[in-house]
Amino acid sequence: MASGASAVKAGPGSPVTIPQPPPELERQPLVANLRGFGWISNRVASLSEDPAPIWWWILFIPSVLCLGMLLFMLTYQISTGVGVWGNMHPVMWAWDIVNFVWWIGIGHAGTLISAILFLLRQRWRTAVNRAAEAMTIFAVMCAGIYPALHVGRMWYDWWLFPIPNSNSIWPQFRSPLMWDVFAVSTYFTVSVLFWYMGLIPDLAVMRDRARTRLRQFFYGLFALGWTGSNRHWSNYEKAYLILAGLSTPLVLSVHSIVSLDFSVSQLPGWHTTIFPPYFVAGAIFSGFGMVLTLLIPLRSMFKLEDIITMRHIDIMCKVTLATGSIVGYAYAMEFFIAWYSGNPFERFHFLNRALGPYQWAWFFMVGCNVLVPQVFWIKWFRQNLVAVFIISILVNVGMWFERFVIIVISLHRDFIPSNWGYYRPTIVDICTYIGTFGLFLTCFLLFIRFLPMIAISEVKGVTPQSDPHHPLGGAKVNEVIPDAE
Amino acid sequence: MKTPLPSVREPGRNSPVLVPVHGRTYWRSLDELANTPEFRDWVEREFPAGASEWTDPVSRRHFMKIMSASFLLAGVGFAGSGCRRPVERIEPFGKMPENYVHGVPQYYATAMPSPGGAIPLVVKSNDGRPTKIEGNSLHPDSNGGTDRYAQASILNLYDPDRATRFAANGKNAPPEGAIDALSQISREAQANGGQGLSFLVERNNSPSRLRLQQAIQQKLPQAKWYISDSVGLDIHQRAAGQAFGRPVKPLHLFDQADVVVALDCDFLGSETDVQNNIRRFSSRRQISKPGDALNRLYVVEGLMSITGFNADHRLRTPSSTVVQVAAALASELLKDGISGLENVAKSAGVDPKWIASCAKDLREHAGKSLVVAGYRQPLQVHLLAHAINSALGNNGKTVVFHEVPEPKEQGLVELAQALNAGNVGTLVILGGNPAYTAPAELNWATTQRKAKRVVRLGYYEDETSVGCDWHIPAAHYLESWGDALTSDGTLVPIQPLIAPLFGGFTQLEILARIVGLPKTDPYSIVRETFAKFFSGQDGEGAWRKFLHDGFLGNSAAQPVAVNLNQGAVAQAIGSIKTSTPSKENLEVVFHRDYKVDDGRYNNNGWLQELPDPITKIVWDNVILISRKTAQELGVKNSEMVEVKLSDRAVRGPIWVQPGQADYTLGLALGYGRQKTGRVGHGTGFNVYPLRTAETPHIALGASIRPLGQTYPISCTQSHWSLEGRAIIREANLKQYEQHPRFAKSMGSEKLPVEAPLYPNPFDQLKQKGLHQWGMSIDLNRCVGCSACMVACQSENNVPIVGKDQVHRGREMHWLRIDRYYTGRVPKDAQQARQRFFETFNTEAKQQFEDWIDNPQVVTQPMLCQHCESAPCENVCPVNATSHDQEGLNVMTYNRCVGTRYCSNNCPYKVRRFNYFDWNKRPIGKFYLGPFGHRKDDEWDLMKMVKNPDVTVRMRGIMEKCTFCLQRIEQAKIAQKTKAGASSDVVVPTDSFTTACAQACPAGAIVFGNLNDPESRVSRLKQLDRDYAVLEPLLTKPRTTYLARVRNPNPEMPDYSEAPLSFQEYEQKMGNPFEHEEGENHAAHGATSEKSE
Repeated sequence: MASGASAVKAGPGSPVTIPQPPPELERQPLVANLRGFGWISNRVASLSEDPAPIWWWILFIPSVLCLGMLLFMLTYQISTGVGVWGNMHPVMWAWDIVNFVWWIGIGHAGTLISAILFLLRQRWRTAVNRAAEAMTIFAVMCAGIYPALHVGRMWYDWWLFPIPNSNSIWPQFRSPLMWDVFAVSTYFTVSVLFWYMGLIPDLAVMRDRARTRLRQFFYGLFALGWTGSNRHWSNYEKAYLILAGLSTPLVLSVHSIVSLDFSVSQLPGWHTTIFPPYFVAGAIFSGFGMVLTLLIPLRSMFKLEDIITMRHIDIMCKVTLATGSIVGYAYAMEFFIAWYSGNPFERFHFLNRALGPYQWAWFFMVGCNVLVPQVFWIKWFRQNLVAVFIISILVNVGMWFERFVIIVISLHRDFIPSNWGYYRPTIVDICTYIGTFGLFLTCFLLFIRFLPMIAISEVKGVTPQSDPHHPLGGAKVNEVIPDAE
Repeated sequence: MKTPLPSVREPGRNSPVLVPVHGRTYWRSLDELANTPEFRDWVEREFPAGASEWTDPVSRRHFMKIMSASFLLAGVGFAGSGCRRPVERIEPFGKMPENYVHGVPQYYATAMPSPGGAIPLVVKSNDGRPTKIEGNSLHPDSNGGTDRYAQASILNLYDPDRATRFAANGKNAPPEGAIDALSQISREAQANGGQGLSFLVERNNSPSRLRLQQAIQQKLPQAKWYISDSVGLDIHQRAAGQAFGRPVKPLHLFDQADVVVALDCDFLGSETDVQNNIRRFSSRRQISKPGDALNRLYVVEGLMSITGFNADHRLRTPSSTVVQVAAALASELLKDGISGLENVAKSAGVDPKWIASCAKDLREHAGKSLVVAGYRQPLQVHLLAHAINSALGNNGKTVVFHEVPEPKEQGLVELAQALNAGNVGTLVILGGNPAYTAPAELNWATTQRKAKRVVRLGYYEDETSVGCDWHIPAAHYLESWGDALTSDGTLVPIQPLIAPLFGGFTQLEILARIVGLPKTDPYSIVRETFAKFFSGQDGEGAWRKFLHDGFLGNSAAQPVAVNLNQGAVAQAIGSIKTSTPSKENLEVVFHRDYKVDDGRYNNNGWLQELPDPITKIVWDNVILISRKTAQELGVKNSEMVEVKLSDRAVRGPIWVQPGQADYTLGLALGYGRQKTGRVGHGTGFNVYPLRTAETPHIALGASIRPLGQTYPISCTQSHWSLEGRAIIREANLKQYEQHPRFAKSMGSEKLPVEAPLYPNPFDQLKQKGLHQWGMSIDLNRCVGCSACMVACQSENNVPIVGKDQVHRGREMHWLRIDRYYTGRVPKDAQQARQRFFETFNTEAKQQFEDWIDNPQVVTQPMLCQHCESAPCENVCPVNATSHDQEGLNVMTYNRCVGTRYCSNNCPYKVRRFNYFDWNKRPIGKFYLGPFGHRKDDEWDLMKMVKNPDVTVRMRGIMEKCTFCLQRIEQAKIAQKTKAGASSDVVVPTDSFTTACAQACPAGAIVFGNLNDPESRVSRLKQLDRDYAVLEPLLTKPRTTYLARVRNPNPEMPDYSEAPLSFQEYEQKMGNPFEHEEGENHAAHGATSEKSE
């Protein structure tokens, strides 16, 4: 970098004149206020080095209590039976699978941000990818609870894995649930690896800054002897690229396969070819919703406004708007195809969504997923943090209802009217769901407390001063603006 | 072919020296070569020295000592520490009984006493424990069908809440005490000729009991007899006696009648002898080709009933006005006319065209028609029915009369009078539960105490037991010897399959002890009675044959000729008082419950959980009301109301019943018991407090008052409409004649592809199967009686789950009866729009929709369809549900993880999931998980009813109909055993069937081998009416249905060209016959051209 800077400086005598771009073309820098490297390191590392702020405890204690409730609820359910939930005949899947799909969907944004946007060279991703990836992992953990424990005899879950056994019975490879096992477990493994890979240089930073033996030991252990040497960086970048390449198809495959749980069956409302792309779009939609929900308060509480800038928020709002519109299109298309196919059961089913006993859920879904994000066409809403925060929560609510609509409404009135029923959740359903938030938030709060929640090394790479071609790039920055802190 | 085994030389025997030397000699050892004495000795001995005997006596005895001491110590240690296994007495077959093979069930013929006589049965016994009840198809008047009660009665045998002790004044007492008490009664009665001795019995036609009754009458002429007839089914006999002036009992031959008119007579549901009525009636709903005739059923009724379900024309009118309709019919049909009839008829308020056309139909079928009156109707209606039948010449043709002994017993009212007058010294209650069922004004519980001594034989310690000096536990009919006559008069034995579990007594024994017979054991009594019936030579052989066959051949009663006593009829008509219910003057109808009868099956879990055939409500009774009345009175479903009749009141929940007459309240008997078992406790509400001796069935002048509370009701089928879907297909007879393949034209327009994209793997597998199992269900014969549901529950160890769990949709029935109401088809655009939106309403709003007022009803047994291309199979991640080569969709319980995906993907939704451990935990303690323990006494008995051939499922797994796999396997094994080495391993045609098919009195369910072209199921599947439900999904079900054909009278005012379900279908999907022309030419041109 120093050489690059000197190259700029070493002109043929005449002073360098930089033509100012017109203001409307000027890009806002990804790190605002021309924050220097030191500031970034200090800012991010201080979150886990300083004593925990009060608000952290205020959030953490209820989260742990919720986690305890989750454990209690799951113990109760495992010891007593799936009947403690509201699942019934004909609605054999209800909140269990709704929540599974919802959490899995939330997990999508993380990998999308970290892998696809990386490959597409979307440099703004660096400010949010670490937290988003952590969110992915924790969301997948929450999601994984449901398929593992919603079955009647969860102690035989291992039969879903292709493990050679004394009975020589293999799983049924034609079943989408079998595919789910592969899809979700692969997704989780790769996401964890990817996340951990990205953490290594930052863990080394934490190790180097550590003041206690304990911190030194643990950060040192997980930093895997990172020294920041050229060879390390070179291998790291290659590995990161490869993992990004591996994760990219997974972003698309996981939710596609989850959607096959439904579309492979022949239930009206499930049996639809549109599901894989529609589910992926919905997942990204809800994932961005969740990223916004988490980052908007965090950035203000941790004072990260210069790293997670309004430009980041704006971009994410636009992604939300785009995916929300795709989802809206999919809803419309489902209705159109139901009518166009002439299949009386399909026609009835879609009318029943809009007119039937669960009409309210359908209105929630359409309102939150299709109508509400449309306000993001207007810049004012994208710039207003309160509005964005509220809308991001509504998006998550809407996406939860989308899964509810697909699963419960499809099941509650199918082919034979004598089977029709009305599903109601029980208190255990509700407490288990709230409990998964406890698990999620506990993990997430521990994450922001002990790990750098912003990718320090990557953010430094996208600061103006690290770009040798930037007018402020290279070594001259230090001359112009002294380090803030 | 067997090859002979190579002969082997025995080394021990063939001493080498004896072997003649031929050619070369080989030796096996040097010793042999040397032929030493040691070697010869070794060859002689069986075992080497030291191994063949225990030569040291001291050490052997020492060993025994040590071992017995250590066993003793171990025993003391276990006993002393309290750590021992519970005492379980096993009874090994030290001597194997003759013809007994362990694990192979045995079958015994017996009979279940019923109000109409008895149901001949064959009961399966596993290792001495009865497990399944089936009808006796050998019996001349039975096809092996039974009713709900018979199927469920086995659960009563193992009811942990049945009376298990002898009790004196409510305290435990030894059985000897009861016997002493009986002999004391006997001595006292002998001394004073039976003065003050009263017997209260239930109607029963046991010849042995009659014999003992006569003996008591001779020896103790002062003793009095009373009948406890809680429901009032005696009226048929009483009315016939009055109409014909002699003691006769009618037997309705519905199979002989072309036209049947039921005057509030639920002969397919709640009358006596239902299984025979269904069999006879359904035999006339059989139709196999155009041109076949059907009978025609007219029903006049206020409450919806099973008979109403099957009506071709149903006239909805309050029960109290049925008498007017009967009079109107009579005045059309009785030539010589009876004065006063016209006046009664005029007030009927019924479309005169209905009456005239119905009467015309009856007249045209004189001698082949039948008018029947229901037990709820007053005597006058019965007499009018007899008069009409006599006028039409039906007597002796469609209704025959059997002579019965003159009834001498009096009723409860007379007994109450005697009790109040202090004329009863000893009251012996041998049947019924009068403290619960007696008319309210008798105030039975206190009246009963006015007897000096009350001895009661009861199956339960119930309301009546409270005020008894002695309570003697009654034996179940499967524990006791007895006899009975079936409705045709054939003598049937009641033989025990098991010794009384709790030492219960039978009626015969008690009577024999009181009369002072030398032999009081029921066996001798029954045998003695049999000797009176049988006059031939080989008494012992005949007795054995009697027990083996389960009936005495050729003992059926001979019909007697009867002449109508015109005077009696005329007199009765004169006494008819007419009144019409209105909003202020509501009518209350008390009806026998389809499940718990008069309350006697209140503690039977199978019956409690059996959905009521009409309402599909479980575990409760409700106040049935019509839509219009409910709206006028401002009440709605589940709302608690108080029904007030003069100064008496009961409280219960409202339920709007489609097809119910306006201003009528239907109240089912049998619930709200104060003293019952764990199962029946807290179910429903008691309506007996409204019921008086004067108006035991229909009472006017009731009013209702909403209480502002709601009561949760569990109903297994919440949606009423068929929504115009071609799930049940029906047409009128005329349509069928024009379009014999109408069932195939409906519902399959949308068949997506002719050939699927990929071949079904099962198509190849199928080639390997010896049998291909399939089922055909004739919707034209099925009346919806639900006997099959209980049979399935009994055969397959299907658990009950309790009201709360049913409310959550978790009932476990493998076989259910779907019941749909089909209503008017919208005529104009506005109605059509309204009906369109009504479809999407919540189920709670159905009760306000006016299409339900005059519905037609269709029923359909729905069970696993055993699809050849089963949607459940490919979604199971662990291969727990798969196909066998004989076409069964089999469920491997051990492998099931419980993802429930199979159920979600099953379009028929016939799979049931064990949300809790239904067997291990008692009802009400499911949510306690491991803390919810079943009491040992409950479980000890409960497990005895289980079929050992069927797995008892644990929680967390899916289950469903297996086509009674255990029966299939038994048949196959039996055939293989018989076949031996031959290749004759195909199960003989129709040699066995499933539990549901076996129990079906209508013969609507037929199961068999599709590979066998001669099997009944193969032939039925060839019929025009055969169709598969949800055919367009290409599931290729092995269970197919035969479409229903109605036979309405074109002259009737309510006639329509097509059944309402067909019209609903047509309105949604278009006329199925429109494009039939072209298709017909391609597929089955010849048939359609002929019919067009």
